[in-house]
Amino acid sequence: MGMMIGISFQSQTEGRPTLASYSRFFSNDLVLAGLARTVVMSGLVALCVTVLAYPLAYYLARATSRWRTFIFALAIAPELAGVVLRTYGWLIILEDRGFINSALIWTGLITEPLPLSKNLFGVVVGLTHVILPFGVLSLLTSLQGINPNLEKSAQILGASRLAVIRHIILPLSVPGIVSSFLIGFTMAASAYATPALLGGAGFKVMATMVYEQVLFYLDWPFAAVMANVLLILMLAAGFIGSRLESRLHQKLHL
Amino acid sequence: MRYTALCAPAIVSMVLAANGHAETLIVNSYGGPYETIIRERIIEPFESRFGIKVIYDAVGSASQDYAKIKATNGRPGFDVVVMTASQSLEGCKEGLLEEFSPEEVPNLEHLSSVIAGVAGPCGAVHEVQYLSLLYRTDKLAGRPNSWNALLDDGLKGKIILPTFQNVMAAYLMEIFSVAHGGDLLENVDPGFAAMAKLAGQSIGFEQSSSVMETYLKGGDVWAMPFWNGRAQLLVDSGLPVDYVLPKEGSIPLVATLNVPKHAANRDAALKFVNFFLEKSSQEAWVTGYKVGSGRIDIEVPADIRAKQITTEADLKALLLPDLAAVATRLSAWGERWERDVVAAAK
Repeated sequence: MGMMIGISFQSQTEGRPTLASYSRFFSNDLVLAGLARTVVMSGLVALCVTVLAYPLAYYLARATSRWRTFIFALAIAPELAGVVLRTYGWLIILEDRGFINSALIWTGLITEPLPLSKNLFGVVVGLTHVILPFGVLSLLTSLQGINPNLEKSAQILGASRLAVIRHIILPLSVPGIVSSFLIGFTMAASAYATPALLGGAGFKVMATMVYEQVLFYLDWPFAAVMANVLLILMLAAGFIGSRLESRLHQKLHL
Repeated sequence: MRYTALCAPAIVSMVLAANGHAETLIVNSYGGPYETIIRERIIEPFESRFGIKVIYDAVGSASQDYAKIKATNGRPGFDVVVMTASQSLEGCKEGLLEEFSPEEVPNLEHLSSVIAGVAGPCGAVHEVQYLSLLYRTDKLAGRPNSWNALLDDGLKGKIILPTFQNVMAAYLMEIFSVAHGGDLLENVDPGFAAMAKLAGQSIGFEQSSSVMETYLKGGDVWAMPFWNGRAQLLVDSGLPVDYVLPKEGSIPLVATLNVPKHAANRDAALKFVNFFLEKSSQEAWVTGYKVGSGRIDIEVPADIRAKQITTEADLKALLLPDLAAVATRLSAWGERWERDVVAAAK
């Protein structure tokens, strides 16, 4: 990391230290658009992962039937295949002549393919699938730590199922929700393969831009600046997440 | 007993290496058909003649290999690498690659000065391809003879373009620039204007040549720019495709053999480079992989000569941009590509 910070202050042509790459980063609208795209994409992925993982994790935390093992295996199954393989799978499903568009055209519901890949939608779908097991695991740990007797007591005292979720389960699982969100955000922000394959030429994020600078433009100082900004973004997300967690914890326990 | 069994091969290897009987050379290049042909036509004859064992490493692309050389300051773990003239120039400037001398690589003197000059002193040109217009013979009515054929209405939604991170994109833009009244470096406005029109015709952009191929094979794409060596492999595979060198000309992909500055087996590496540039090796390579050569004294069948760069006249007919100057403009061109070309495709 120290090396990366050092390189970011190097001049591409001369040996002297310079802020030129930082200046270029913050004055280039294409790069800033890439940064904004990264934040939006990562936020959406984190949200989707947490929302989809929560009911699944709750079922796994409370279920006692023999289906539990099967559902748990299914929940972590995406990790059994490589990320590139999974992403190509989504490409086959989402592309213009992919499974969904072909089926919709065949049934006559649409005449032109829907833009499901090579854009934000495609990348969010692909990354949510890749990161979902991590969200399930982090929420599962948190939900398993909630004593089931609390829910039973609330229901005996007349609370509806919705009220139990609203007033008991959700507040007590805030640490799990925050960690699922943070895991989703940081993994999405640093992901390369899925945005590169499902995003296409028009959807560039920080990770794909770093790759281009390192391998094609050979501008390592600029790539190091991008990597540092990405690192700071993740650290900021972590800091905000932990502050938010402690505030929510305090507020919901009052 | 187990320790003895484990240690014995290591001791034998060390003794043999100390006596000079186990000289090895690590060559890093491409996989697929390239690997099959280079093993048969170059590596095996080299091993037989010099008694040097070649370890072939097909992991990585030329740009990844160059990044590895740069990151390790010339000690990437391989002795010979296949890259391009652009990387040879950059690596030479950065002091990361060995400079070849006629004393150590005598066959360099047989290369055409036109093409050898493009690669600089650290790149031994062992192969020349050109950007060709590849097309489906079963979809197009006639044989296109101009790059402007890609702009025909009949090809709307039937072409695919490389992303800017595939060097084909910059070269295609330069070719269109020259064809529409601009030049290769300073006045490239006509090139970008033509590429924006072309983007409107295309179904999109792909970085990888192998992915671009799949669109053509599937029939979704009827024409596209492609390196002629790979295009020839598609022709040979029996697909209904052919390729042309359009009348406006083309820019070559000058492939080079390079030796990292601190290669462990430098002497063997230089022998390999010299061997690859021999007349018989170049003839074997040109007829096997079906590409052009920087040697203009080779003798190859007429059908290959008709489609490949094998003569001084062929070389002189190509557009040869100053690759060092192109490298300094790539970043600005890349941004312009995003603004003008990618935006036009949406």
